[in-house]
Amino acid sequence: MSILFRIHQWFSFLGNIGSYGIAYLIESIIVLIFVALSFIALIYIFRKYMARIQRRIGPNRVGKFGLLQLIADALKLVGKESILPEGRDDMAYKIAPVIVMIATILAFILLPFGDLAYFGSLAVTHSKVTLILMFGILSIIPIGEILGGISTKSNYALLGTMRAVAKDISFEIPMMISVLAIVIVSSRSYATGAAITGGLSLSSIVANEVIPYGIIEPLGLLIFFISMVARASYSPFDLGESDSELISGYTTEYSGMRFGFFYIGLFGMVYLSSFLISVLYLGGSNGPYDNYVGFIYLFIKTDILVLISFLIWVSIPRIRIDKFVNLGWKYLLPLSMVNLVYAGLFVLYIR
Amino acid sequence: MYKIISEETDKSGMKVLNIDKSDLIELMEDYKDRKYFLSSITGVDMKDHIDVIYHLHNFDKNDYICVKVSTTDEKVPSITKLWKAAIVDEREQYDLMGITFEGHDNLRRILLPDDWVGHPLRKDYDLNKVQYVSVDRDGNEHVSFDDKEGW
Amino acid sequence: MSHWIELNIGPVHPATHGIYRFRVKLNEETVEDVDITIGYLHRNAEKICELNYFVNNTIYFDRMDYIDAMNMEVGYLRAVETLIDMEVPERAQWIRMIMAELSRIAARMVGIGALGLDVGMLTPFFHTFHEREKIQKIFVEASGGRQEVNYMSIGGVYQDFNDKIIEEIKEFIAGFKGKLEEMVKMFTDSEIFWQRNVGTGVLEPDIALDYGVTGPMLRASGIPYDVRKDSPYLFYDKVNFDVPIARTKDNMGRFLVKVEELRQSVRIIEQCLAKLPEGPYFNPKAKKSAMLLLKGQGDVFTRVESESGEFGVFIRGDGGVKPYRVHARSPSFKNLAVVPIMTKGSLIADLIITIASVDAVAGEVDR
Repeated sequence: MSILFRIHQWFSFLGNIGSYGIAYLIESIIVLIFVALSFIALIYIFRKYMARIQRRIGPNRVGKFGLLQLIADALKLVGKESILPEGRDDMAYKIAPVIVMIATILAFILLPFGDLAYFGSLAVTHSKVTLILMFGILSIIPIGEILGGISTKSNYALLGTMRAVAKDISFEIPMMISVLAIVIVSSRSYATGAAITGGLSLSSIVANEVIPYGIIEPLGLLIFFISMVARASYSPFDLGESDSELISGYTTEYSGMRFGFFYIGLFGMVYLSSFLISVLYLGGSNGPYDNYVGFIYLFIKTDILVLISFLIWVSIPRIRIDKFVNLGWKYLLPLSMVNLVYAGLFVLYIR
Repeated sequence: MYKIISEETDKSGMKVLNIDKSDLIELMEDYKDRKYFLSSITGVDMKDHIDVIYHLHNFDKNDYICVKVSTTDEKVPSITKLWKAAIVDEREQYDLMGITFEGHDNLRRILLPDDWVGHPLRKDYDLNKVQYVSVDRDGNEHVSFDDKEGW
Repeated sequence: MSHWIELNIGPVHPATHGIYRFRVKLNEETVEDVDITIGYLHRNAEKICELNYFVNNTIYFDRMDYIDAMNMEVGYLRAVETLIDMEVPERAQWIRMIMAELSRIAARMVGIGALGLDVGMLTPFFHTFHEREKIQKIFVEASGGRQEVNYMSIGGVYQDFNDKIIEEIKEFIAGFKGKLEEMVKMFTDSEIFWQRNVGTGVLEPDIALDYGVTGPMLRASGIPYDVRKDSPYLFYDKVNFDVPIARTKDNMGRFLVKVEELRQSVRIIEQCLAKLPEGPYFNPKAKKSAMLLLKGQGDVFTRVESESGEFGVFIRGDGGVKPYRVHARSPSFKNLAVVPIMTKGSLIADLIITIASVDAVAGEVDR
């Protein structure tokens, strides 16, 4: 039983196509609202958390405890004039932030959110290839970054784009190889050793993940976590922005809500990467009574990961670009290969 | 061999060598060999002539000396060949005092915009004459006397 | 075949802590050439000083190295008091020393915090500024000013230390010792911070001497030169402190030298507080009515150790009540000029850190 089916039942008088259409629409909206609310909470928590670490108070003026600060910020960004730089490629300049934001939000729809009491499974998509879709959508985001960077004549943006591209290329491969190791491991049930189909769907990976894969292949977890930090591009891997060197990297020429879109993309990626890590490596929504509270398990795991990410963000300096690329090609890529071989041997062993 | 016109001690207890400007390079070379380094260059406008004062410092002996030359034609030989520190110092004195250092490769203004008129530290500099500086798109500065222009 | 990118760092850029402009010629990420443009903050304080009475000029020196105002005042007053033969009472000298060292700590807090900012860690910046804020509160208590203090005057200081100020300083020093170690740990515990700093921005000692570099930069290149030690002023010969040097010549060496100097500054302040005598804090010869009639004749050149290096002041008096010529040998001006040599062939990220570790203050560069 899933929330999708429940809504379909409520609207069954519209016929099969109509009711499923409305069900998908409503559920997507629910997910988007959930994501938006999470953003607000997340950024508020981030700012408070960062302020505590930095001996400050953080937002405390707008609303009770500064809870409305982010809404005020969003209104400010919307109200701001969007300054269009001269000599830009107009189409690319305008479409880039939209690509980044939409791709980030779209990825949330593919997540297996787990079950919640009456509603059942909260996942929107029940496709058999959500894993591939997920990483397909994730690889759209760099296109937005590149377009945003090279569509203006700014040298800062150009250098920032070059760094962002180097970052994405050098960490994409280890990330995908460690995901491949997950697919291999999840192809057989380690309770019975029987083959399992549907290993390319996130929900079936989670369903098989009685022991979290992070315990089976800790190396994979490490590689995936580092790659995800690079992907979300926060410190120490915020090379695309490098705010002390390149002003703001590929977002230098953006202002107003267009900059806000990139900002949403950044925090969305932090959140999404935490979701992905907890789904792929930390057991996702599995746990006792997960038919009723599975979603809560996932949420708690994700939030702990988000807090860990924030701690990394505020405490570690930025790595230099050459050292960073070295890390990707010389250490993570061979290690991910080792991890892949290990996953294969593990499957052989349990069979 | 250089000739020291007079030697005195100033109020802060520093040895002061008064020399002719034709002997400057020779004396400075001698002091460079004795491990002295340039600390600062000061120009003083004495209305009929300009005093150029060099402060040299020996780090080993912790000895400061002061070398004074005076010039009536605003020209002094450059000592950038001896110490690189003189590059910015001479540019600064050229900029503010209008002393031409002969032999300096890159003698242009350093603090003020390139087309500024006059040298502010001269005693005859007219402080009432207002010059407006504007910056163009490439970051180059332009000077005009009209407050409407530029901005 | 190489493609140039001309990158413009400054006048307004997160990495230039002040306003000066670097035109960097880049070959991809490698720095090929750096051209420095300065003068955006030029006020010609030297000319202004010629138009004023001797006693009025301290405020213009405050605004040279605006984050280290006390040492600028000490530098100017050392020259003026030598020129006009003004005696300074002992208590005033000890007070000046305490204030100068506090100001040095405050200035270093900015420098180190900004280095952290440029490496990409935001957190230490707030911690260092927290400590700086405490010092500024002491300054407010003593002088009424936070940054541009105008505390010292010819013949003494503006106001005597009362018990509250001494108590505040003692409290600050007690807290600062532990806090400093904590802040330094924030940097040195990070492997990436070492990676970024070790071996970047190398300055050979012969180049440093040739370019007239002084201060922590020279000491980090291995030359133990400190004006406080080599030609003591105030009562620096009556207190014990060490001059740290680093042999690595790089950014990390400069950072560690600066940190060690902070510890030495704390040591100096502790000794000063213990030795602070009772007595007048102002020479009665320089009382208010006589202040404008102070006359000076002849040349003086004195120097003090400011936050960024050897700060020399040349004054020529013609026997009148105003200085005939004032010249400030500003250390940041010389230190900044060596940046192109230090960063040639390095990556742009190293250039940014080198700029931060040189710690040139725009107000002092431009005067």
